[in-house]
Amino acid sequence: MKVLKLAVATLSVAMLSASAWALKPGNVAPEFKGTDSNGKMETLAQYRGKYVVLEWANQGCPYDQKHYKSGNMERLQKEWTAKGVVWLSVISSAQGEQGYVTPPEENAYIERMHAVPTAAILDPTGTIGRLYGAKTTPHVFVIDPQGKLVYEGALDDQPTPDPASLKGAHNYLDAALEESMAGKAVTTPVTRPYGCNVKYGN
Amino acid sequence: MHMTIAGRTRAAGWAERLLAVVSFGALLPGMAMRAQIVTVGDGGPGPVKAEHLTAELTGLNPQGMTQVAVGGQTQLGLVLSMEEHWHVYWKNAGDSGEPPTIKWTLPEGMTAGPLQFPPPTRLPLGPLMDFGYEDQVAFPLTLTAAPTMKPGKVHLDAQVSWLVCSSQCLPGKAHLGIDVELVKGPVAEAPLVGALGAAIKNLPKPLPATMSASAIGDAKQILVTLKTGTQEEDAELYPYDEEVIANAAEQQIESLPDGVKIRLDRAADSTALPKTLHALVELSSTEAYEFTTDVTPGVLPAPTMSAKKTGEAGQATDVTIATAVLLALLGGLLLNLMPCVFPVLFLKGLALVHSSGEEKGRQRAHGLMYTVGILVSFWAMVAVLLILRKGGQQLGWGFQLQSPGFVAVLAALVLFLGLSLAGQFEFGLSLTSAGGGLAQKQGLTGSFFTGVLATVVATPCMGPLMGTAVGFALAQPAWQTFLVFTALAIGLALPYLVLTIQPQWTKMLPKPGAWMETLKQLTAIPLFGTAIWLTWVYGQLYGKDGVDRTVALLVCFLVLAIAGWALGKWPGQWKGTITAVVLIALAIALPLRKPTVETLKWEPWTPESFAAARATGQPVFIDFTAAWCLSCQVNEKAVLQSADVDKDLVSKHYVLLKADWTQYDPNITAALAAVGRSGVPTYVIYPPGKVSNPDVLPELLTKSVVMTAVEKGAKPMGSN
Repeated sequence: MKVLKLAVATLSVAMLSASAWALKPGNVAPEFKGTDSNGKMETLAQYRGKYVVLEWANQGCPYDQKHYKSGNMERLQKEWTAKGVVWLSVISSAQGEQGYVTPPEENAYIERMHAVPTAAILDPTGTIGRLYGAKTTPHVFVIDPQGKLVYEGALDDQPTPDPASLKGAHNYLDAALEESMAGKAVTTPVTRPYGCNVKYGN
Repeated sequence: MHMTIAGRTRAAGWAERLLAVVSFGALLPGMAMRAQIVTVGDGGPGPVKAEHLTAELTGLNPQGMTQVAVGGQTQLGLVLSMEEHWHVYWKNAGDSGEPPTIKWTLPEGMTAGPLQFPPPTRLPLGPLMDFGYEDQVAFPLTLTAAPTMKPGKVHLDAQVSWLVCSSQCLPGKAHLGIDVELVKGPVAEAPLVGALGAAIKNLPKPLPATMSASAIGDAKQILVTLKTGTQEEDAELYPYDEEVIANAAEQQIESLPDGVKIRLDRAADSTALPKTLHALVELSSTEAYEFTTDVTPGVLPAPTMSAKKTGEAGQATDVTIATAVLLALLGGLLLNLMPCVFPVLFLKGLALVHSSGEEKGRQRAHGLMYTVGILVSFWAMVAVLLILRKGGQQLGWGFQLQSPGFVAVLAALVLFLGLSLAGQFEFGLSLTSAGGGLAQKQGLTGSFFTGVLATVVATPCMGPLMGTAVGFALAQPAWQTFLVFTALAIGLALPYLVLTIQPQWTKMLPKPGAWMETLKQLTAIPLFGTAIWLTWVYGQLYGKDGVDRTVALLVCFLVLAIAGWALGKWPGQWKGTITAVVLIALAIALPLRKPTVETLKWEPWTPESFAAARATGQPVFIDFTAAWCLSCQVNEKAVLQSADVDKDLVSKHYVLLKADWTQYDPNITAALAAVGRSGVPTYVIYPPGKVSNPDVLPELLTKSVVMTAVEKGAKPMGSN
């Protein structure tokens, strides 16, 4: 019976190691397939040759609200999509959890907030979230035109839901995109993301 | 979206709209700026109710105001009490979250130290892991009053902010206050009571000088070794540094005789190995340590078999206990086939077949009472076992497979019982005649005692299998032991119970015969297999000393076999029993002995280390030895490791080299030839000085020979 216990433990370690797939800046960003709020299929491959920003969102989370209600997120989206960056909002909240939206609800929210992402991918099974290791909302990933991850982490350096913190905050996303586009190495490629945990289902 | 806000809500006024438009461009022309997080409380003393939690500033004084001496200090605490399922966060919140913060407004001369964080618990959220507190948490802090302050009552003000989450997250703020009395004279030390007192007691302590922590890291994992001086069974590590370990990954715990090893998975996105690790290790609810250790890059040793995982243990246990119960049931059924049980079963079955119809109902009742008799006997055994174990635990015995002593005793027990099953000897024969009188009683009582008797009668052949069950049961929690024994009892009672319901099935039973004895002997095979496995576990527990310790256990087995022979030669006689008991005691003592610690440091001999040793100008002692050379081992253990020789070698500053010829190293062969020898053992002393003739000692060493040679060799050549 102890042998069985060992076998179970070993198997669990193996499975766990397999899932703790290292995704760090410099690695090739994993390919994903998702459906956006307009029913269209979205993959990473279709945007090869462009910068891609993945932004995990949850409309009920106070940290996400800080950026959306103040217009900060919308401003970032407008600025960077105008420069040819593909901005994909990803909602990985499971059904029944905070932040879960149906396609029409998400479209209504985008319109209400005047947000301008290229597309909003609905990922209620959490597949894309788990694939990337998305922990919080917001949590952003920046992928370069060659498909490599150049930044992942927090949006800025103010881990608080207080909108007053936006003033003077250092925006890591802006920095990463600017530096990468200028051909320079990103000074801060990884930061600890802050926000509410992504509401994965069980 | 709904965000419930306690207190007043402020309607957005025109000024705010203008501000929004001006500050953020024309993006949100009609959008009102919603109210920020509303601060609850007015700064007065006492608890303040906020969304999903109550916040309060307290002191240690159970009745009345907290007192602090002018020029002295006192402990205050921020106590947060959460609603069920809501939690707040530790210093490193984990994958998401934020710890509470406090900003003080204090009277002149008063200073407040930072919030101290008690050890957190792990808060899993799907694939993520946070670290924090549920139900209630108190954060102690130290308040210092300058000597220039004047006695009297003062009010302290604090702005506290936190993040409280369950499946949703709500940031919160409170304006708290506390009144403190400044007094002139010294203030009595307040007792550590209440939530704050408990928190102060359980704060992580810095590592005392008697303990040490170290860490090695490779590309995937970090192995932390914490030496506390006692064997630790449980440990949870919480990192203060963020993004270093994979928070959600299981931590593998390996118990050490003097501490514990914790194996951590590194964070998936960490790029470089951190230079240091600042962590909190919680060993129990009352013992936690905080330390910072360097992380040396290196290769991690493979995990040993005895490693278990935090959190994983529960899951694996469920699988195991189900298997154990099933095995016990099958074991009980198997017991019916043993030569001491089966004939009885067969005869009773025949009696049932021949009984008339109206007796059948009564027979069923008898069958049930028989089952109850067996169950009660087994439960009595479990009770005794648990009491013994409890008593043993008070004495500090460890009943786990990580404890070498326990493994050794279990291995010896299993081997001994295997010898019995194989037929070397029988034990428990005298018990067979016991209880016969009770079983003669008529009626249901009689059946009850027949059940008890069946348990007792079955002891000679059941004993060995029962012993194994007992042995393993000692390592399990009480309820599991209880379940396993109940399953065993039911397995034993089941066939008879079935026969009382369907007596005609007796026809299906095979006739008793010699096959029963063969079956009993065959059951010895898995027992011997178990003994082999336990011997391997025992060796593993000692790492590099494993082989030596395993030999001690094997010698124990040999002595046990002799004891078994004694029991077999004189069955049921006092002389056999006494001889066996003495031998068994001797056998068990062998592996439980503390190994002698080698005080001398022997460097491995190579041509280079030899040249270096000679170059130091000190006398050199070379021990040419091999693992397969028995006289070498005897010489080493009896002479070279004796205290007197040790002292001599050390005091005369000998450089000690050991040439291990186990694998026939050609360099060593050449060195042996150089001193005119061709085999081991060979002992050579080189006196100090560049040119010196080596002194070759005789093959059979005695203390006096060695000590004389060591004395002579310590002086340079030609100076005698």
